[in-house]
Amino acid sequence: MSKGFRQSQAFLHTWSGLLLGWILFLVFVAGTIAFWREGLNRWMRPEIARVEQPMRVLAGSQAFLARKAPDAKSWFIPVATERTPGAQLFWVPQPKLGEERGRGRRGGRGRGDTQALIGADGQVAQGRETRGGEFFYRFHFDLHYMPVIWARWLVGFATMMMLIAIMSGIVTHKKIFKDFFTLRRAKGQRSWLDGHNATAVLALPFHLMITYTGLVTLMALLMPWAVVANYTDERAVFAALFPTATVVERTGRPAPLIDLRRIAVDAERRLGAPASFIEVSDPGDAAARVSVSQSANSMLSSRTPRLTYDGVSGRLVWRSPAPGAAAETAGAMIGLHAGRFAGNGGRWLYFLCGIAGTLMVASGLVLWTVKRRERLPDPTRPHFGFRLVERLNVAVIGGFPLGIACFFWANRLLPVALRGRADWEMHMLFIAWAAAALTAFVFRPARVWPSLFAVTGVLLVALPIYDVVATDRGLFASLAIGDLMIAGIDAAISVFGIAFLLLARGVAHHRPAAKRVRRARAATASKVPEPAE
Amino acid sequence: MTAGDAHARARWARRGDIALRVVAAVPLGYATASLWAMAIARLLPGDRAEASVTAALIALALCAIAAMWAFAARSGWRAIWTLAAAAGVAAAIAWVSIDATGRL
Repeated sequence: MSKGFRQSQAFLHTWSGLLLGWILFLVFVAGTIAFWREGLNRWMRPEIARVEQPMRVLAGSQAFLARKAPDAKSWFIPVATERTPGAQLFWVPQPKLGEERGRGRRGGRGRGDTQALIGADGQVAQGRETRGGEFFYRFHFDLHYMPVIWARWLVGFATMMMLIAIMSGIVTHKKIFKDFFTLRRAKGQRSWLDGHNATAVLALPFHLMITYTGLVTLMALLMPWAVVANYTDERAVFAALFPTATVVERTGRPAPLIDLRRIAVDAERRLGAPASFIEVSDPGDAAARVSVSQSANSMLSSRTPRLTYDGVSGRLVWRSPAPGAAAETAGAMIGLHAGRFAGNGGRWLYFLCGIAGTLMVASGLVLWTVKRRERLPDPTRPHFGFRLVERLNVAVIGGFPLGIACFFWANRLLPVALRGRADWEMHMLFIAWAAAALTAFVFRPARVWPSLFAVTGVLLVALPIYDVVATDRGLFASLAIGDLMIAGIDAAISVFGIAFLLLARGVAHHRPAAKRVRRARAATASKVPEPAE
Repeated sequence: MTAGDAHARARWARRGDIALRVVAAVPLGYATASLWAMAIARLLPGDRAEASVTAALIALALCAIAAMWAFAARSGWRAIWTLAAAAGVAAAIAWVSIDATGRL
């Protein structure tokens, strides 16, 4: 490999990594947490009991919908599991005459009117209003306070930069595996470089996989041209890729809907796997149809098979055909990205790799400043670009985790009766983060880094203690009833809190090595060109 | 011309070169990958939906490769004209193919 090629890629790696590094940091943090989305959905609703009998929830859901929306256009019922806080169902009202027969979920009405949470006992659950773990899942690609299409383009662009940074980083790095076993502690720039290399190489297959498959999840938005080349109407390709049973017209003749539990049992027997989602169209009509999707937890591909039944007789009328090789490949990539197929052990692996990715991005961003600080003409008065990057690093890497800690606290402390409570939980995250960012731009980084880490650490360590003292879902109570998911989240939050406190102490005691000493040492010791990063 | 002038001129030349490479990597790189997505989607045999999905999967990787090439090329101008030529070939393939057999 020529030296020029490697140098050009080192330049590309540095700048593609820096310019969107802050967005990538947010995406990595949120995505990593989102691997525990279901667990957090439960952890953030501590008053709701764990589901023991999913069929009881399903029967309760059907009974509720038959009372509440007997003549809806369609019902959507997720099948509860012990991982979910119950069944978060929603329904689409019958369109009025002259209104378009859209499948729009919001349909001009408040979302609150057309959804409900059915708890373990089959009754409407009275839980606190929260987005739970769904917040992290959505933020991972939709960000917040901005139209989702803009957010997805921005995240998609950042992801492409990430792919470029990874590929050019591999090229740049000649001694990739040797350096992986090298971690020089307390050696300033060398240590940051070693840390960046270790977290990058350690999980390199994961980073490449998660970045490319992440682009695949946004493929229809980012790369529609392959479809445009073959189709004049986008709907035609969707019909080909995601076939559904033929739609039957509503007859107007009432007929009782079959017990959905019977359909669920039959579908699970035919699929040979758990069902995750039930959609009922025209309930109460003679033309009612019930579609059941296989759970994504049971297979790699995100393209789960579907069965459609006659909603009155319970006869199977349609079965989704096996997807083609390319569609199956894309589906498997999306499945690999989301990791829904993974059991708890697999989720831990995803989670740890996600942390490695987060550290890779964070150490890369810090490395940019560490490397340039040495070369500043006057280190006491750095130029504007340097100061901006330095402060943005503090604001994002130090501030965002603090915001997340406040989000969790808001979930515990905001009054249950507060209007728009779920929104306020999220506002609290951004208010706390904005405050942290403000301090980052007002005070010296050397003081703000440890302060932000310390506050985050204290907030996180205190959370499980609060849970033990003030709720009946503390760590020990969860362990006693064998609810390892909730206990695991409390324990993990404690570990993160302690890690942030140690980090705060380390950063506070950190004294950058004297500049001249290092210069002198570098001049004698390092005649070999450093691997560029 | 003083040494300072020469230095400043070299710096601006370098900035101009980088600007050209950024143009080659981002808008032109995306356009080239998109046109190749169209060309590959037309060239692949078999089911049209399958061909489109395969082409889109390949094009995502092409985007990254185009950006790497934009910075690896000997000069910014060279990056621009090579990518433009690659885009032109793909556009010709897609145009001839669509013109000949049409779209669904």
